[in-house]
Amino acid sequence: MKYAPPFHRTNGFLPVLVAFIALALIPLFLTETYARHTLILVFVYAILASNWDISLGLGGIVNFAHLAFFAIGLYSFGIFGKVLGIDPWIALLLSPLLAVAFAALLAIPILRLEGIYVILVTIAAAQLLLQIVVSQSDYTGGTSGMVLLPRLEIFGYKLSKDNRIGYYYLALALLTFSTFFLYKLQRSSLGRAIKALRDNKYYAIARGVSEGRLRLYTLCASALFPGLAGGFYGAYLRVASPDVFGLGFLTITLSILLLGGLSTIWGSLIAAFVITILAQFLGDYGAWRSIIIALVIIAVVVVYPGGLFAAVQEGWGAFNRFRTNARASWRRSRGADMRKAVMGAPDRLVETRHGKISVCESGQGDEAILFIHGNSSCKEVFRHQFAKFGKDHRVVAFDLPGHGVSPNADPEEDYSIEAYSEIACDIVEKLGLGKPVVFGWSLGGYVALEYAARGYPLTAVAICGTSPVGKFPEDMPRGYIATPHMELAGKRFHSPHEKANYAAHTIGMEKGAEPLVWQAVWRTDGLAREQAFSKLKTCNWPRQVRMLKEGKIPFAMINGPKDPFINHEYCRTFGYGNIWGGEPQNVAEAGHAPFLEDHETFDRMLREFLTWTKGPATAD
Amino acid sequence: MISADTFLFVLASGVLLGGLYALMATGLAVVWTTLGVFNFAHGVFVALGAYIAWQVTQSVTGSVGYLLGAALSVVLMFGVGFVLHYVLVKPFERNANLVLLAVITTLAAASIIENGILLVWGARDKQIEPPISGTIGLMGAEISANDVMILIVALLALLVLAIFLRRTATGRAMRAVAQNREAAELMGLNVSRLYAMTIGLSAATAALAGVFIGSVRFISPTFGSDPLMKSLIVVILGGVARFTSPILAAFIVGIAESFSVYFLGLYWAPAVLFAMMIAVLLIKPEGLFGHRSKTL
Repeated sequence: MKYAPPFHRTNGFLPVLVAFIALALIPLFLTETYARHTLILVFVYAILASNWDISLGLGGIVNFAHLAFFAIGLYSFGIFGKVLGIDPWIALLLSPLLAVAFAALLAIPILRLEGIYVILVTIAAAQLLLQIVVSQSDYTGGTSGMVLLPRLEIFGYKLSKDNRIGYYYLALALLTFSTFFLYKLQRSSLGRAIKALRDNKYYAIARGVSEGRLRLYTLCASALFPGLAGGFYGAYLRVASPDVFGLGFLTITLSILLLGGLSTIWGSLIAAFVITILAQFLGDYGAWRSIIIALVIIAVVVVYPGGLFAAVQEGWGAFNRFRTNARASWRRSRGADMRKAVMGAPDRLVETRHGKISVCESGQGDEAILFIHGNSSCKEVFRHQFAKFGKDHRVVAFDLPGHGVSPNADPEEDYSIEAYSEIACDIVEKLGLGKPVVFGWSLGGYVALEYAARGYPLTAVAICGTSPVGKFPEDMPRGYIATPHMELAGKRFHSPHEKANYAAHTIGMEKGAEPLVWQAVWRTDGLAREQAFSKLKTCNWPRQVRMLKEGKIPFAMINGPKDPFINHEYCRTFGYGNIWGGEPQNVAEAGHAPFLEDHETFDRMLREFLTWTKGPATAD
Repeated sequence: MISADTFLFVLASGVLLGGLYALMATGLAVVWTTLGVFNFAHGVFVALGAYIAWQVTQSVTGSVGYLLGAALSVVLMFGVGFVLHYVLVKPFERNANLVLLAVITTLAAASIIENGILLVWGARDKQIEPPISGTIGLMGAEISANDVMILIVALLALLVLAIFLRRTATGRAMRAVAQNREAAELMGLNVSRLYAMTIGLSAATAALAGVFIGSVRFISPTFGSDPLMKSLIVVILGGVARFTSPILAAFIVGIAESFSVYFLGLYWAPAVLFAMMIAVLLIKPEGLFGHRSKTL
C-alpha cells in the first residue's frame, strides 16, 4: 500500500503558505526598483538551484550543464523574439521546449557514464554550446551578446512599469509553479524511481526501473523550469550575453544548492535568498564580494555539509525535544492530582539504569501485575485495570522514557525495546514486586516478551495488539497489515492531523474520550518513536521465539478482532508452546486497545488467565 | 593546399602547446588518480604561479630573474597546494559526496585566488620577459628558441616527476596511497600528508606551466581557465591508466588544436576539441590509452 501524505496535511504547508503570502505582499511595501530587482533575481536563482536538485540531489546525476538549460531558454527567447519576430509571450513559452530538447540530447552521451565523467562531459557539452553561440554571431551577437530583446506586455501594459511590479509577480508565479512541480515530482512514482536509482541502482533496475529512460526523464524534468526562467530573464533584462555560460554563474548557483542542502527543494529556496541578497549587499566591494561569497561557501561546506536545511531540521528537532520535555515536567507537577484521581494512586519518579521513570503503584495483594503501555501512549491507558485488579493485586504501570510524564532520555541509549525491558526489570526490583505477571500492549508487548525472554523474574506474560516476530524484518509485513499508520508509528514529527489520526486509531475512540491518552501523543518525544523503530533490528528476536515455543512461561494473547494493524491469521498460526486457551483470544467488538474499549470483557479474560497460571494447567 | 613549411610551423606550435598541456594535465591527473577528486583550482594555480614569477622578474631582470622567479613560483605553489589540501579536501575525505563537495570547494578556492590576484596585481595584462630570444630554423620553418626551451624543460620536468614517483620512497608512498588507501594507512603511511604533497606537486607543475605560458602569452587574472579546460580534455581523452597517457593525449590535443585553429579559425577550435572528447567518452569512456575494465 502506498503511503502518500496529502499536501495540505503536512508540517511544511503552513510555513510555505506564510512565505508565499509574505512574498505576494512584499512589493506593496518595497516600492524601490532595486529591491524588487533583487527579489526577482532571488526568484530566478531559486528556480535554477531547486530544479538542479532534481538531477544533482534526487537523481545523483552530477549535471554541470544545468545552466546551459537556462542559457538555451535565454537565447531561444532572444532568437524567436528578436531575430524571428515572434510574439514575445509565445517566444517565452517556446524557450523551455528547446531547453528540454537539449536535455534529451545531453542524456545520450551520459547514459553509460558514472561519477566524475558525468561532470566532465556535461562541462564539455556546456562549453561546446558556448562555442557554438559565440561563433554564430549573426544570430546570437557573438561574444557581446544580444541587446534590446522584446519586452513583455499585457494589453499594452508594460510589465516593467510601476517599478517592475509586473515582472515581480510573473517571477513569483514562475517560482510558485516550479516549486509545486518539484513537490509533486518528488512524491510521484517517477520521483521515487529516480531516488531508488540513486540509492540502490541494481535493486531499482531489478525492480523494473529503466536506468536510461529515467536519466532521460530526470534531465528533461530538470530542464523545464530553468528554460522558462531563461526566457523570462531575457524578457526582463532584455539582454542575452554569453556570461551565463561562465564559471562564476555556475559557482553561485551551485553554492545556493549546496548551501541549502541537497535533495531538499526547500533548502535551495532559502539559500537563494541568503546568497543573492548577500551578493547584492556586497555589490560595491568588487573583487572582495566574490572572495567573501567563496569563503562563506567553503565555511558552510566544511562546517555544515548538510546545508541550511539540515540546520533548520536540527533546530526543529531540538525545539521539539525541548517542547516535549518541558510539557512532561510541567505536567509532572501541575497534573499530578488529576492523574491521581484517574489512577487512584499518585505517581513518583523512580531511578533506573536508563534515567528517572514515572511509576504509578496501587492496590494490595501478594501478587503483582506490571503493565507496559505502547508507542506514543502513557501509563494511564490502564486506568480501568488499576481500578479492578487493585483490589486484590499490586498493580504497577510506568511511563516509558520520552513518554507520559517520564522525562526525555538519551535517544541512543534509552529508546529501544531492550532498554525498556531493562527499565521494567529495575522497577520490579526497586518496588519489590517479586515475580509479577507482565502485561504489554503493542510496543509494550515486545517489551514484555523481551523481559520474559531475558529471564527476568516473572510468573506469566500477556500481550495485546502485538504480533510475535520470528525473523526480523521478514515477519514484520506478515505480522502486520500495511497501513499508513505503520509509517506514523516510526515517524519523528507528526502534523496535528497525523497526531489526531494516530491517537484515534490506537485507542479506537473519538477525541475527548481519553484526554490523557490523547495528550500523550502530543507529549511523546519524536526521537523515541524513530529510535525504537530503527533499533528493532538490534533486538534478539530468536530468543523471544524460543521463549514462546518452549512454553515454560505461561503466555496469553488477548486481542481485539477489529485491531486494524495486526494480522490475526498470522498470530493464530504462529505456534506457541504454552498459550492460554490454546490460541490467541479475542475481545469481541474491540480494536487495538481492548482493555480500554471493552474493559469489562477484557478484565474478565485477564482474570481467567491469572487463575489459569496459578492452577496445574501448565502443559508440562 | 598547405605548404610544407606552414605545415611544419603549425605542427611545431601544436607540439609546443602539447608540451604545456602535458605539464598541466599530468598535475591534474596525479591529483585525480591519488585523491579521486577533480581540482578545479588547477587553472588559478597556473595563473598564480605566473604572477609570482612576474613579480620576481620586476625586481631582478634578465635570465637570472626568470630562473629565480620560476624556482620561487614552483616552491611557493607547492606550499599553497600543500596547505589547500587541509582546507578543501581533508574535511570531508570520508563523505559519500566527496567528488561533488571537492568540486564546489575547489571552484570556490579558484574564485578566491582569482579575485585575490585581481586585488593584488590588477586587471591589466602582463607578460614575463622570455629568457631566450631568437629563432631556430627547422627544415625551413622558423621556430622561436624560447618555445623549444619550454618544450625541453617541460618534458624534463615530467621526467623528473616520473622518476620521483617511481624511484624515491616518498613517490612510491604516494603511488601506494593512490592504489589502496586503506592498505597504505595500515602500513603506517601518513595519508593526509601524502595527499597534501600530491596536491602540492600538482600545483608546482601548474606553476611551471604558468611561468612558461606567461612568457609566450599575456597573463591576466582569468587566463588559467582556458588551459584548465584544455587539460581537462586531455585527461579525459587520454585516461589516467599510465603516467604517459595524459602526456600522449596532450600532444594529440595540442596538434589537433593548432591545426583546427589554422583551418577552421579561432572560434571553432575549442568546439572541435570538446566534440573529440565527447566522442571518445561515448566510444571508450576510460580514455584512449586506458584499460577497458568490465563492470556489471
